Amino acid sequence: MFASSASLLGARASGTARRAGTVLVTLLGLLALTFFIGRVMPLDPVLAVVGPDADSSTYDQVYRAMGLDKPIWTQFGLYLNDLLHGNFGNALLTGHPVLEDIKRVFPATIELATLAILFGVLIGLPLGVVAASNQGKVGDHVARVITLFGYSTPIFWVGMMGLLVFYAWLGWAGGAGRIDLAYDGMVEEVTGLLLVDTAIARDWEAFASALKHIVLPGLILGLNSVAYISRMTRSFMLEQLSQEYIITARVKGLSRRQVVWGHAFRNILVQLLTVVALAYGSLLEGAVLIETVFAWPGFGQYLTSSLMLGDMNAVMGCVLVIGLIFVALNLISDALYKVFDPRTR
Amino acid sequence: MKTVFPALLGAVLALGPMAAVQAKTPADQLIVGMSLVNLFSIDPANAPGLDASGINANLYDTLVKRDQGNPEKHLPQLAERWEVSEDGKSITFHLRDDVKFHSGNPLTAEDVAWSLYRVMKLNFGLATNWKAYGYTVENIQALIRASDAHTLVVELPQPTDPLLVIDSLATSPSAVVVDRVEVLKHEKNGDLGGAWLVTNEAGSGPFTLSKWSANDALVMTRFDGYWGGPAKMKRVLLRHMTESQSLRLMLERGDLDLAYGMAAPDIKAIESSDKLQVQSLQRGTMYYVAMSMKQPQFANQKVREAVRNLIDYQGLDQQVMPHYGKLNQQPMQLGLEARLPDPGYKLDVPKAKALLAEAGYPDGFTTTIRTLSEPPFIDIAARMQATLAEGGIKATIVPGTGNQVYGAMRARNFEMIVARGAERYPHPYFSLRTFVYNPDNSDAAGLPNFQGWRASFFDRQLNELIDRAGVERDAAKRLALYHEAQTRYDQEAGPIMMISQMTDTAVSAVDIKGFTGDDAEATRYLGVYKQR
Repeated sequence: MFASSASLLGARASGTARRAGTVLVTLLGLLALTFFIGRVMPLDPVLAVVGPDADSSTYDQVYRAMGLDKPIWTQFGLYLNDLLHGNFGNALLTGHPVLEDIKRVFPATIELATLAILFGVLIGLPLGVVAASNQGKVGDHVARVITLFGYSTPIFWVGMMGLLVFYAWLGWAGGAGRIDLAYDGMVEEVTGLLLVDTAIARDWEAFASALKHIVLPGLILGLNSVAYISRMTRSFMLEQLSQEYIITARVKGLSRRQVVWGHAFRNILVQLLTVVALAYGSLLEGAVLIETVFAWPGFGQYLTSSLMLGDMNAVMGCVLVIGLIFVALNLISDALYKVFDPRTR
Repeated sequence: MKTVFPALLGAVLALGPMAAVQAKTPADQLIVGMSLVNLFSIDPANAPGLDASGINANLYDTLVKRDQGNPEKHLPQLAERWEVSEDGKSITFHLRDDVKFHSGNPLTAEDVAWSLYRVMKLNFGLATNWKAYGYTVENIQALIRASDAHTLVVELPQPTDPLLVIDSLATSPSAVVVDRVEVLKHEKNGDLGGAWLVTNEAGSGPFTLSKWSANDALVMTRFDGYWGGPAKMKRVLLRHMTESQSLRLMLERGDLDLAYGMAAPDIKAIESSDKLQVQSLQRGTMYYVAMSMKQPQFANQKVREAVRNLIDYQGLDQQVMPHYGKLNQQPMQLGLEARLPDPGYKLDVPKAKALLAEAGYPDGFTTTIRTLSEPPFIDIAARMQATLAEGGIKATIVPGTGNQVYGAMRARNFEMIVARGAERYPHPYFSLRTFVYNPDNSDAAGLPNFQGWRASFFDRQLNELIDRAGVERDAAKRLALYHEAQTRYDQEAGPIMMISQMTDTAVSAVDIKGFTGDDAEATRYLGVYKQR
């Protein structure tokens, strides 16, 4: 008994070590790939610093100061060494440490992505279930049209139209930015999430302003998730609904609703977890188009601007964060698998 | 799930009526929408971009300023008066004695001298301007010095027209005065406060920097102790917005007071609005088509003349450039006394074909045009591609970012390019130095700050003419030299062919008064107010 529990513990420990090793190797590979791609990209970070009209002596001085005169392996080694000491370097774009920048821009994206994924789940799941349980009928067709719209319309265009209708014409939504300018900087930053910070400060006017600003970009960003989640839900549900146990349940006299939601839907929860986690992960990477239209100072804009400049410290920092997000989401969905699926315990 | 979404929707709908009574921008705050994507640093020693110049113009002061864009006439700022020595070798500035920095420290001549030394010591791109006059990090402290707390002596290291130096002191982004005592408090590893000044300021201008969050917003607050009297606006808030249609919607809704960088179709759409006013601002920057004379075909003058005949100057001006620029065919900005009228270049395909045949290219050739993948560059390049094809030259467009396009040009690694340059105040001497001058055409010389060098254009006689203009103190003779240089450049069919001079458009609410654009975006918000 004792021996078997010890061997179980040992197996678990080795499983955890293996998983940690895989995560480390993945992140290291990701960093190396980004670093070397960054170095062969035809972008010159020195020019971004000195300006296009600088003379050669200035250019060379900055080139050396940035360590670009060293062999590429040395540069990568130095970067890793700094990283191990918690130093991600400074961003060209802001002059601030990269970590500080990411800490500043990330809450804006978390807030937007969370609203978008909530929208995606709250609409996408029922839509997928309705489509599957009404296969070939009106409900299915309506769901198909909605998902087609979500997939095929350019988000940039939907963003502009949304602004035109709900902000300019109807005045329901806030304009660009995270909050009305009158409240800008008026609420103490605790979490960086404006909805949370304004609520903590009990500044309900500012809260309403932040809500008015986030709803439109959040919903538009969520459109794509609605499409993705509903299509996946539909397909998982169709597979379940064709199983023999469903027929048995119906024969036993269970209502259609009980069969669909109580049996079939419960059985696809595990698969859906992965789908939702992946969708959330890609939303957290930032949505540069929506961020541009709504002047949303988020992660997507930060990463894109840094990339355009060839600002590799910032790009590497962002890549590492994205890598960590996916690793974390994978771990969380693995853990939740165990909750929902007894076979994996 | 059943309750959350309707609740969310209900919350949004409930907020709807609030919008109808939503207050417009506050009466004492100016809300500006513009792109801040190129704003990396506001350190005056290393802030070459136009965005940074625009911000520093409000945070800092200069010794003198230009009078109504006239490069030969200057008005007092920190310096109440100044005199040039008879031999033209030194200038003495007498400073106001009532100027305080935002820190409360008094502004002295020592601060002015140290600010310029700092630019040379750090040696970023803006030092180039001062190096051209012969200043070096070794000699600048001896040559530019405080003789007492409010007197600054500027000696010229080499024969130069002192007016040029005075103009640089009025217009160079690096000529602003920083608070030496404050900056040195933040010095790290001998960086002269370099790391700190990238995101902080130590000026004496009408506004102080309250907040700068990159790619988000920058807030400036009125400095009540400003020597020229406090600004009318309490706060100026610049919000980072790149999407032209979003800017337009926010202006129309009254959530923005002023917007820069809007696209031509949006400007056109609001020109007739009675709520908004459109102000066209002439910049010193020029749009041009350049050829590399390293390429054998473009080293041939007849080919360059052919290309000049394949540019549809008038078509570009009327169809592509409205709200972006104004036709200009000279390497010198419009409105300058020294500028000759346009030579009248126009699209002439038969003439171009004849020239190509004479040059030995009867069937044309293939080439590439590098350009920025944004309007109006890409549109100019597309139009060029079409007209070049009419003459038999098959051009492939290679679009890229500014970094890639200018990087290739600096490395002399291009065939043709559509770009823009001379992002400074209009000045005959500096324009000719930028576009025409090239003291040494060898690759080893490494002179990418001269666009003439980038295009491998070298003409000793033109260099001499420009050098002479730079030291000539007789206005009439100087004018004649500028004219001669332009005529010669025209005859040589220089490889950098100007097509348009940049105009920028500021769109503002009609109640915004006192806003006057500046030649190089160094617009001061000191006198801006709202008439409500």
